[in-house]
Amino acid sequence: MGVTILTQFALENKTGPQTVEVLSKRICALGAVQQGHFLVDCETYTSVPQLGHQRTVHVLHNSEQPATVFSLLDNGTKITALATDGLFDLLMMKMSQFYTSKKQTKAESKGLRYEIGDFYVKLGTVTVSSNYKGILVEVEYRPCVVPAMCWDLLKEFLQGFLGLTAPTNPPTYLQNRMQEVYTPIDTIHQYLEHFTMFRKSPGIYRN
Amino acid sequence: MERDIEQLNAALNAIKVLRSNVRSVFESVSNGLRADHGDEGKETKFIYELQELLTTVNNNLRDVENAVANLTPQAGPFSLGNTTYLSQETTQERQALYGQLVNSYKWTDKIREYSAVAGNILAANSFNKTYKTYSTAKRRKTTTSNHNVAPEVIENLISSIDRLFPDVTFTPNRPLVPNPIIQVSLGRVLKAIIAFKGLMIEWVVVKAHAESNDLWTESRYRVFKRITENCHAAMCHFHSPLMPELAVRSFMHWFHSYITLFSAPCKRCGNHLNSNLPPTWRDFRSLEPYHEECK
Repeated sequence: MGVTILTQFALENKTGPQTVEVLSKRICALGAVQQGHFLVDCETYTSVPQLGHQRTVHVLHNSEQPATVFSLLDNGTKITALATDGLFDLLMMKMSQFYTSKKQTKAESKGLRYEIGDFYVKLGTVTVSSNYKGILVEVEYRPCVVPAMCWDLLKEFLQGFLGLTAPTNPPTYLQNRMQEVYTPIDTIHQYLEHFTMFRKSPGIYRN
Repeated sequence: MERDIEQLNAALNAIKVLRSNVRSVFESVSNGLRADHGDEGKETKFIYELQELLTTVNNNLRDVENAVANLTPQAGPFSLGNTTYLSQETTQERQALYGQLVNSYKWTDKIREYSAVAGNILAANSFNKTYKTYSTAKRRKTTTSNHNVAPEVIENLISSIDRLFPDVTFTPNRPLVPNPIIQVSLGRVLKAIIAFKGLMIEWVVVKAHAESNDLWTESRYRVFKRITENCHAAMCHFHSPLMPELAVRSFMHWFHSYITLFSAPCKRCGNHLNSNLPPTWRDFRSLEPYHEECK
């Protein structure tokens, strides 16, 4: 598990599938090999009013860690992360009286997964309750575990195939954690950040 | 004198022309029939061509002979000081001695010239693979063996290197008493498993922290595979039979420079990535980072 950077990508006057095609052509021209599919999904539950102060639980699954369910509890001021095994989904169903899910907010990013050298690149199409919202590009550099050490390297890689629209600063979530060892939950935090942005945006989100 | 040199030059030129034309004869013979000879009567065409070439060679040979005939031989015999009197020896079997002496004189003169040139070239490219010196003080050291040393000596060496680098952690492990296997963690960048044979580094494997400590499986990441290869090169480069401790120390010093593996750009091209790898080579002397292709 290495450092992962998640970024949104959009091209002028291009639809989602066209953008994905442009990107996959670029990455294959650089020597990438396609390695199957991936899927990250997020479902959000909110506490019922009887429980007092409202809390939100985001439950996320990542096909990279198929046996794990990630959940982030947001009480307005602080986010508590929890990584559990698959039974957590059943537990959430049992708790449906306290936490209700808003079905229309189910967000997911899915698409193809590429391997290029020690990098993994995932080109995901984001849908919120099956409405297309945008493109999320995930780049993982596997050998390195500290974001501060390899940020410049990742930036160079991102610029290599995203061009000028590549991010110049680390994702906001990572900025305070640059010196810490990167874990899969950090990827989940980044996904949630982007999903929240996509949900808030009306129609198609532009960067 | 002026005329002599001019004639000599003319003769040399004639020889040059002869040589080049002889060469073209052989070239044409070795190529045999070519496509530009066409289909009809190609053999006769080829023979005509050869004939033409041979005529030019013949003419050139005549030129050379003329030029040589024009040359005036050097006046008087080659003089070698007093030994010239050898030629006035009365006994017949010794009269030839002087000629042989002149020949051997010329021969030694040439040897001297060539050896001077060779000496210059070799001095410019010194390739001392061993630190072998023949002074008496150093010779005493050769008696120490680097395969068969007391475990304490190695232990001391490892702990002294451990103290040298605060950001490197050493974890020794001794499955076989005199030959430790140490695990070297370089910050949070990578780890290496190093097997010793006495005081000699025998095997190095570089891996990511999350990977197993097995000595025999290589890393699953390309960057660490590359560094493993480079470590093998370095272990041979730094190996010195006479100063084994120094060899281990300098290897560790070089290896420590990988602490900036992901953060330092290549010294030559200034980029981080080249064929999707960070600069995996460190210069042996300056310890500067380079890509494999840039070094």
